[in-house]
Amino acid sequence: MKVRVDPERCQGHTLCWMTAPKSFQLDEVDGHSSAVSEDVPADQEEDVREAAHSCPERAIQIF
Amino acid sequence: MSEANGNDDRKKHRVHFDRHTPEYRHEFEEITHELQAKCPIAWTDTHGGHWVASGNREVFELARSAEFLSNDHDVKGERRGYKGITIPTPPRAAEAQGGFLEMDPPAQRHYRQALNPYLSPAAVARWVPFVDEVVRACLDEKIEEGRIDFVDDLANIVPAVLTLAMMGIPLKDWTVYNEPAHASVYTPPDSPDMPRVAELSRNMGISLYMALQEIRRSPRPGLIDALVRAEIDGENPPDEELVGVLALLIGGGFDTTTALTAHALEWLSQNPTERDRLSRERSTLLDSATEEFLRFYAPAPGDGRTISADCEIAGQRFEEGERLWLSWAMANRDPSVFPDPDRVDLARKGNRHSSFGLGIHRCIGSNVARTVFKRMVTAVLDRMPDYRCDAEGTVHYETIGIIQGMRHLPATFTPGERLGPSLDETLQTLQRACDEQRLAEPVVRTARADTAR
Ligand code: SF4
Repeated sequence: MKVRVDPERCQGHTLCWMTAPKSFQLDEVDGHSSAVSEDVPADQEEDVREAAHSCPERAIQIF
Repeated sequence: MSEANGNDDRKKHRVHFDRHTPEYRHEFEEITHELQAKCPIAWTDTHGGHWVASGNREVFELARSAEFLSNDHDVKGERRGYKGITIPTPPRAAEAQGGFLEMDPPAQRHYRQALNPYLSPAAVARWVPFVDEVVRACLDEKIEEGRIDFVDDLANIVPAVLTLAMMGIPLKDWTVYNEPAHASVYTPPDSPDMPRVAELSRNMGISLYMALQEIRRSPRPGLIDALVRAEIDGENPPDEELVGVLALLIGGGFDTTTALTAHALEWLSQNPTERDRLSRERSTLLDSATEEFLRFYAPAPGDGRTISADCEIAGQRFEEGERLWLSWAMANRDPSVFPDPDRVDLARKGNRHSSFGLGIHRCIGSNVARTVFKRMVTAVLDRMPDYRCDAEGTVHYETIGIIQGMRHLPATFTPGERLGPSLDETLQTLQRACDEQRLAEPVVRTARADTAR
């Protein structure tokens, strides 16, 4: 499973990071999110799916 | 004739919708579900006529269509005469633009870029010890008495003091801003108290203008300093515009977090088993409970927009110049996205609520709001675990057209012991900390974050 945050859509709601803190990191200055790595470790898949489902801007793409 | 028919056809879903009436507050769930089932985008003739979006998908698609929506409040009639985000435009607000929330990009984006480094999660995390001290002092003032008003004695004070600290305004001035910030929201335009409230608001504007002048003369870190240095569209904006931005920061920072905290504390008093569970399982439950209270009680229930070009969005045709109300509060109750939407579920998953708004105008202070809310609620759970709110003395805002808030929330609890100095003394100590440690400096990007991007 791979994950990506669309920087055009992300508005920095931080819910992804609250849900899956190991897989997302927030920019210190504007709070926008990016994936720690595109490849999601098996033990993080569920949290990442939940994060994608929680993002109000629907900015997280799983592929 | 064909024009009129065309109009009728476009506006075939007509409803009578007036969110400024007490009925809208009392019958919120019925009205919401009826609108969502019949016409998630409807036309209403109230307040000069406007569209109302209540369905989750519709609100989402509309809020994100920045190319067809404008937030502009063209007070001086220099552009297209748009009326900003309040429906109807209150006569008082007609005099002033509501900061960057009533602007379009690129100026709006420049403002946010200037302020983000003070409001990001990393920036806000630095304030936690400060917030905890203010909360401690507020609770200490009442802990021996066994009685507190959670609005007057806690939830009004902490967000106010923190907002001023982040701006760079002396903490002791919180009382100057407190009443106008709340009263201007809950006082109906036709109230006999309105002239007094308007006067308070004017004085607040003057205080903000003076704070701006003072920080220009002798700089101190904070949001105001960021604004007096900001380049917006290539230049530093006039003071009049900056005062509008400061008023927006006060409005956003004060009343909304107060409203959220009061509603959550009231609900937890009515649901003591859930309150004990939240207290016990806070390490796993506090984040989701916070989002759930945000979803359920949406302190800022919606935003107005103006359609800036003819377009079709979410299956509805709109014409340039039409007004639109995006209801975050109703979108949060859409059963197609939130199972059992009218129930508070502290462990709710996939809670993609829109209480901070959606799209480019999303609330810039959400990290502040969440942090302050969590610190206040957990401190109450720790120090007043058996509190009971007094329904008789509780005063909700009569209408929820602007903010879903509360004026008073008295409660009783088993008295406890003070842990430290009084609120006044605490604010003096914290003021020194702000000055000496320059707490309100912005965060700067570290090398690690740079490479990570
Ligand atoms: S939840 Fe969505 S909008 Fe928020 S930071 Fe994560 S990706 Fe960005």
